[in-house]
Amino acid sequence: MTYALVAGVLFGLYFSLVGIGLNLVFGVMRIVNLAHGDILMLGAFIALGVVGIAGIDPLFAVPLAFMVFVLAGVLLYWVLVPRLQGSANPEMLSIILFFGLSQVIEAVTTIFAGTSERSIQSRLLGTVFSTIKVKLFGGKPGGAGPIQIFGQGFPAPWVIAAITSLIAIGLVYLYLYHTRLGTLTRAVMSRRDEALATGIDVDRVSAAAFGIGLGIAAVAGVFAPFMFGSVTPAFGADATVTSFAIVVLGSLGNPLGTALGGVVYGLCYMLVQTYLSSWADLLPYVLLIVILLLRPSGLLGRRVRVA
Amino acid sequence: MHNASKHLLFILAPLVVVFALLPGVYQNHLLLFNFVIFLILAQGVNIIYGFTGYLPFGYVGFFGAGAYGFAIMVMHLQTPAPLAVLVGGAVAVVLGLLLTPLLRLSGAYFAIANLAASLAVLHFVANPALEGITKGPYGVSLTGTFNPTHAYYAAVVVMALTVGAVVYLKNSPFGLALQAVREDAVSASMAGVNIIKMRVIAWLASALVAGLAGGIYAWYVSVFYPDNVFSGEFSIFAIVFALFGGVATITGPIVGVLILYGIYNLIGFTTPQYFQLIYGLLIMGLVLFLPAGLVSLATRRGWHVP
Amino acid sequence: MSPEKAPILEVSKLVKRFGGFHALDGLSFHVVPGEILGLVGPNGSGKTTAINVISGLYAPDGGEVVFDNVSSGGIASHKLVHRGINRTFQVPKPFLSLSVRENIQVALAYGGATDAPSIAELLEEYRLKEVADRPAADLNSAQQKMLDLTRALATRPRLLLLDELAAGLNPAELDWIAGRIKALAATGMAIIVVEHLMGFIEQITDRVIVLNAGKEIFEGTLATAVREPQVIEVFLGGEHAH
Repeated sequence: MTYALVAGVLFGLYFSLVGIGLNLVFGVMRIVNLAHGDILMLGAFIALGVVGIAGIDPLFAVPLAFMVFVLAGVLLYWVLVPRLQGSANPEMLSIILFFGLSQVIEAVTTIFAGTSERSIQSRLLGTVFSTIKVKLFGGKPGGAGPIQIFGQGFPAPWVIAAITSLIAIGLVYLYLYHTRLGTLTRAVMSRRDEALATGIDVDRVSAAAFGIGLGIAAVAGVFAPFMFGSVTPAFGADATVTSFAIVVLGSLGNPLGTALGGVVYGLCYMLVQTYLSSWADLLPYVLLIVILLLRPSGLLGRRVRVA
Repeated sequence: MHNASKHLLFILAPLVVVFALLPGVYQNHLLLFNFVIFLILAQGVNIIYGFTGYLPFGYVGFFGAGAYGFAIMVMHLQTPAPLAVLVGGAVAVVLGLLLTPLLRLSGAYFAIANLAASLAVLHFVANPALEGITKGPYGVSLTGTFNPTHAYYAAVVVMALTVGAVVYLKNSPFGLALQAVREDAVSASMAGVNIIKMRVIAWLASALVAGLAGGIYAWYVSVFYPDNVFSGEFSIFAIVFALFGGVATITGPIVGVLILYGIYNLIGFTTPQYFQLIYGLLIMGLVLFLPAGLVSLATRRGWHVP
Repeated sequence: MSPEKAPILEVSKLVKRFGGFHALDGLSFHVVPGEILGLVGPNGSGKTTAINVISGLYAPDGGEVVFDNVSSGGIASHKLVHRGINRTFQVPKPFLSLSVRENIQVALAYGGATDAPSIAELLEEYRLKEVADRPAADLNSAQQKMLDLTRALATRPRLLLLDELAAGLNPAELDWIAGRIKALAATGMAIIVVEHLMGFIEQITDRVIVLNAGKEIFEGTLATAVREPQVIEVFLGGEHAH
């Protein structure tokens, strides 16, 4: 039980990281990024590349993936979104547009990388810490072993992913509440039309949010090989649905609600895995529907989605 | 002549005649069958998305439910195939009824919840715990009812009914009222329209045709796995075909299927990933440059498109 | 207003809350057939909320709405339309992709009126004939207001609620629409008008009710209302108090 709960919280923090970028994009632009999972998948491939080519700790892929996808996101924003916003029903069409994008990403990845499952030995993650430890305090070099929490051992990558997630969520909070661009971002999220009317450069704010959203997704992707065992180019589609479950659980349009959504999701996930494993596959979907119907605004949040 | 009769005579009748005669002159019957199935599904999407504005991202849920409704009747009760197809349609309608609460959701929320619902049904049907009923992930084999010729003609009949339903929507106050609800539900209710009833009818009608199509598909292929009949590609293809032609019209989805599924078969099977790439780019181009579909090229010039 | 006529609408002690805010706080009034009643009051005084409750968009949280001797609070809008209540919207939302003609057809087909006016008549009377086959999206805002009104009239209401119909019309259009509203009332239709333009209210109403904070503070003609200290206080606010 303790094991399931702690593992649930660790996974939950990671799930928050998985969902938060999607939510940022939806909250600011009312765009449903169905390619979100594919960005995660690409983040995982960056981690694979860092290990395969450079042979260093995959943690170095975190800043790399973030920077690459912030740039890619801003570029992509300018190519796709203004045209989309000009159409009659941007929210609906965005679903289809980004589905197309996800197909393109999946196809290109398959062309270059094939369809085989890829994984990274989990002891490679965090070697940078043990190396530093060895340099400073001496001791045996090698991979990080299981980490003890409440007397139970948990794989080090879970803990590292959870800590990274906490840091990332903290940074998103700082961005939204303590920077000028972040304040404007929140203004656009709450009333896009009024923000436009008051002369806020909505496009600049949105492009930044889109870039950051994709960047965070890619960072989450770096940890995907450790959290889910392996990745394939087709991993993206499942990751997208899971992300939606998490985001809706928290509240669509409220990025910080996603942190809560992720933890709740992680706990449910681990408890179902432990006690009802044959039905675990159903969980994200059923949870998503039940939450949408019973509490349409998510666990936190405003009523925005009832027809 | 009345518009509806014109539409029946010049759109529906030729379509049915062509697909009824083609098997005699063209050898690839599976391809023809798939065309008919996609015509049904694209028009089913048209009914719910085109006329009421709900994007059924998990539309395949009804198709798969129909296929499994058919399979369970045949496996456990040795039902004759045509009856089992009707049961397939009924199962989809029941699923539609279960999912009516989703209609309370709007926009993206509905689309995502519907997608989740279809995946939930897939994982439910494919669960090894239900092996005694659905054969779980191991798939079903229905050799007893195998009869592709009959299944093909059944599909043509369902296609005719579906297109007929769209002709009705295009030419009746009922269809107008549905579009009114799509445009603004509050104004529609103030025009005296019972918005909940209208949405539910359209939703169940589109569920029914997909369920019938799924049942017929099971009849035709006779061996399949949950992943086949719940494949998200059915939803996506049906939506993209309908959008490509132009929704809320009779001809749009037909043109969409004929052109896009035609292209699919020309380039599709050799290298799937290149196909996926082209397809993805096509979808993106469609949304960015032709969001109201091919028919908008004509309507922009002031031509009326049925 | 002849006292022998029985009211077609009686609102008593109506309450509507949004969270902790009392949009309507015990509002009571009535209207008789053929009467034009004005609802006036500052922004947020509850005028539009009253219309929304009477037309079934919101269920009341307390009190009663009786239309034609039958309690109608909380009944779905389309059923109230069939019983004979209709309204226009402050910001009209016509069915944009449908033509003007089709917009009206929906209301004719579903409004439940047995003696509905003809489309040609409505198009002609409300100056929409020229644009009858254009999509509603092509109309200017005054035309959209007229289309909204024809949508309501196509259901042949016995009680018509007009929410700021006059806002945005030019003086010539105002005179014209005032004449139309009076003509409708002359057929026995009860009409409630929410409006900010006092001249327009004075021109068409038989009686006004002044609302403040969801309550009635005055009832009578507009001419007497403007001499009432309480009314002046509400409209001029703090300035008058000093």
